[in-house]
Amino acid sequence: MPYHEFEASKCIPERKMHAVVKGEGEDLTSCLPKGYLNTIPGTISERGCAYCGAKHVIGTPMKDVIHLSHGPVGCTYDTWQTKRYISDNNNFQLKYTFASDVKEKHIVFGAEKLLKQNILEAFDAFPEIKRMTIYQTCATALIGDDIAAIAEEVMTERPEVDIFVCNSPGFGGPSQSGGHHKINIAWLNQKVGTVEPEITSPYVINYVGEYNIQGDQEVMLDFFKRMGIQVLSTFTGNGKYDDLRGMHRAHLNVLECARSAEYICDELRVRYGIPRLDIDGFGHKALADSLRKIGLFFGIEDRAEAIIAEEMAKWGPELAWYRERLQGKKVCLWPGGSKLWHWAHAIQEEMGVKVVSVYTKFGHQGDMEKGVSRCGEGALAIDDPNELEGQEALRTLKPDVIFTGKRPGEVAKKMRVPYLNAHAYHNGPYKGFEGWVRFARDIYNAVYSPMHQLTAIDIAKDDYATDQGFVTRRMLSDANLSDEAKASPLTGYTGKFDPIAAIRAKTDADYPVFAPKAATEAAE
Amino acid sequence: MNCEVKVKERAGTINPIFTCQPAGAQYASIGIKDCIGIVHGGQGCVMFVRLLISQHLKESFEIASSSVHEDGAVFGALDRVETAVDVLLSRYPHVKVVPIITTCSTEVIGDDVDGLITKLEEGLLAEKFAGREVHLLPIHSPSFVGSMVSGYDVAVRDFVKKFARKGEPSGKINLITGWVNPGDVKELKHLLSEMDIDATVLFEIEAFDSPILPDGSAVSHGNTTIADLEATGSASHTFALNRYEGGKAAQFLEKKFKVPSTIGPTPIGIRNTDSLIKKLSQVTGKPIPDSLVKERGIALDAIADVAHMFLADKKVAIFGNPDLVIGLAEFCLDLEMKPQLLLLGDDNAGYVDDPRIKALQANVDYPMEIVTNADFWDLEDRIKNKGLELDLILGHSKGRFVSIDYNIPMVRVGFPTYDRAGIFRNPVVGYGGAMWLAEQMANALFSDMEVKKNKEWLLNVW
Repeated sequence: MPYHEFEASKCIPERKMHAVVKGEGEDLTSCLPKGYLNTIPGTISERGCAYCGAKHVIGTPMKDVIHLSHGPVGCTYDTWQTKRYISDNNNFQLKYTFASDVKEKHIVFGAEKLLKQNILEAFDAFPEIKRMTIYQTCATALIGDDIAAIAEEVMTERPEVDIFVCNSPGFGGPSQSGGHHKINIAWLNQKVGTVEPEITSPYVINYVGEYNIQGDQEVMLDFFKRMGIQVLSTFTGNGKYDDLRGMHRAHLNVLECARSAEYICDELRVRYGIPRLDIDGFGHKALADSLRKIGLFFGIEDRAEAIIAEEMAKWGPELAWYRERLQGKKVCLWPGGSKLWHWAHAIQEEMGVKVVSVYTKFGHQGDMEKGVSRCGEGALAIDDPNELEGQEALRTLKPDVIFTGKRPGEVAKKMRVPYLNAHAYHNGPYKGFEGWVRFARDIYNAVYSPMHQLTAIDIAKDDYATDQGFVTRRMLSDANLSDEAKASPLTGYTGKFDPIAAIRAKTDADYPVFAPKAATEAAE
Repeated sequence: MNCEVKVKERAGTINPIFTCQPAGAQYASIGIKDCIGIVHGGQGCVMFVRLLISQHLKESFEIASSSVHEDGAVFGALDRVETAVDVLLSRYPHVKVVPIITTCSTEVIGDDVDGLITKLEEGLLAEKFAGREVHLLPIHSPSFVGSMVSGYDVAVRDFVKKFARKGEPSGKINLITGWVNPGDVKELKHLLSEMDIDATVLFEIEAFDSPILPDGSAVSHGNTTIADLEATGSASHTFALNRYEGGKAAQFLEKKFKVPSTIGPTPIGIRNTDSLIKKLSQVTGKPIPDSLVKERGIALDAIADVAHMFLADKKVAIFGNPDLVIGLAEFCLDLEMKPQLLLLGDDNAGYVDDPRIKALQANVDYPMEIVTNADFWDLEDRIKNKGLELDLILGHSKGRFVSIDYNIPMVRVGFPTYDRAGIFRNPVVGYGGAMWLAEQMANALFSDMEVKKNKEWLLNVW
């Protein structure tokens, strides 16, 4: 067995089963780490809690909703303004967060009355918002407040409002993943089927497991609309509460982050017979294949092909420019859950960046299956990594860049490894054909930063030529390129700082109108 | 009376200004060398607080979790702490101090952390880690009491309580900084050094402004040692600069070890800095050196350039930790500005008795509101719906959208300030801090004049 034992973890032997190195000719049967087990206390794991998995990851990206956490202020404050799930309604859900502000007296005497006051106050402060999600926290779960009963009471008194209750206290499960599961099922049980949506296209999907980080959802929706597909709802980035109540009428669930949202897709299949199609919005080939699959499902492959051809003509050459320059660079791909498999193969194939390690904070064995199978030989895969193991891996693997969270990124910075934010991105969106070039651009900018080059120099000891007043990225990245490559007229990224504004400016008139398929077929 | 002190009228919180007690205890813990805290509760209570502090300082550091899951919440989770201590000590051989920081969940289920520590001292530490210096201490910081401010206050007291010893009078003073930035500690130590005063500083956090070194070896950590903490009991005097963040520790030292204390005023602005160094001089018998006379003069010179021409009569709202907000308000008044609204504190009922607040109430000659247990809606609602007009906001990054959406310039100050570069590096205390603050405020107003084309030509000559 190719289990990898970290020096730092020899005193906790059970950790050995949580890391593997993919050896020559090995497949998943011989190299799959354990996953999603209870965290070993005191390891300084990077995992979060089930409350944040429910509220912060999945709940809050819903845009037209008052997000109220029932508990002391800390849970609310700490998960506020730490991600970049934007929306096209002036970012209401990013800007406003609500806490019932539970104090000691409420712990003793109960906080239900306080909660009701909170709900009314919040709706009164924002009279234009009629929807609310209430998240339980550790404290209110333990004192046993009946949040659902209070929500019912308010909905009876104020029929114009609708409230969703998510009971996912922080201690519920080994990581944030427990919260993903709970909110998926709670939404399905409480809200799906309570609104009948208007169907305007023969091709109707829910876009699931997509959180609109820096505009990802808006980029993808643009493709779907260009294919004449009606997107009934997005679960949940930039999504509307009432749209998500009508999920049951879709013909297909298009699933992006299977880690956080496969549960609702699987249940929608069981209860409403809606099939699930897993896609990847990251990577030119993966995205093209994804659009083709959706096209194939509805019999509109031609529309997908037209988009792919147009986008690839525009962005393919720019990606090639970066591939030429990133060839052989090593990356530690250390995200939370799904990006290890979304990105592993795609960055290697399309950018030439070698994945030397993958890790997952809250992923399950299924994520590791996908991630390890998409990595090359020698890749170190780590489940539920901790501080010392991460540092040890960085010292051994010496990557050129790391994709991870903000705080681990600071650890890497000190170890002279430039970092890109894998959760919230640096300058995203990273989905879409253009987005993928933006990702390559960000990697290039990190790896070839002239400042990064300077961090390696010990001014007291090293003999280094000080005859240059500056160095450019091109001087570094093109030093060893062939003359042919240097002479190529291709360029790097030419898009704008904010590519989302143009998409938001589009109106229905900017999208093609397709003749109904049935009529076309009849004519033939 | 022109200046009213009110408690937030609503039951709930819309956009909190503060986080909860465990965060304050964690911020205190990272100031101690060879210390890694274990937060006893769900993992989010650590993971997000580390992220928050790391966003602020742009540095990383270590805090562990006992990772309480369902079974612990139902049956008690002390076994999780036992494992956590064992694993942490085994893997971090340099660690000597391990505070066990409680949270709402583990306080509600009633885990006896104090009892467990005795058990671990007699068992695990005596057996498995025999001969190794390890100190465990409980810090009770349930999230439903107080806020991060009181959590910090409690933690400083508990660290001092754990280690302080009565020894030979050391002649040193204790300087308890309160919740400040690396830049503040640097400035305070500079003042002490100019006055040739030997002090124990709680906490030594300047090293959180740390380098990238060519060999990749740099790590960020606090530098207050166990010996420093022990020495607090033999000091000649304690200066707790912030009443609500360190005041409890000063009171403890006074009561237990008869170390006299001066609590506050927060040395923000020229006048409060004068007050601090005068008192330092009195207590230690050291004269105030010419160098500080000169530094004070440089700050006054810089402030004279901006105060009566640009800052006078500017209406400002200030939010954040209570000592910071009060100190800033006092300085703004000295700068001829008009603080309109102070949002401070948690539900601490003692704020109304703060002499500085009483002085504001006695002397402010225009309407000023002070709201305790406040949230950001107390600010936004007044701007949006109640006609509050402001020229400037002073506060931390969580309030950024009030500034952005209502086009009011904001100077970042306090914690956290993740949406501006390098704020943690600069002081707000001391003469240096006074100068920096006045110039930041002036520059923020200048940029605003230019963006809004509001008498932007004024700066053609200056």
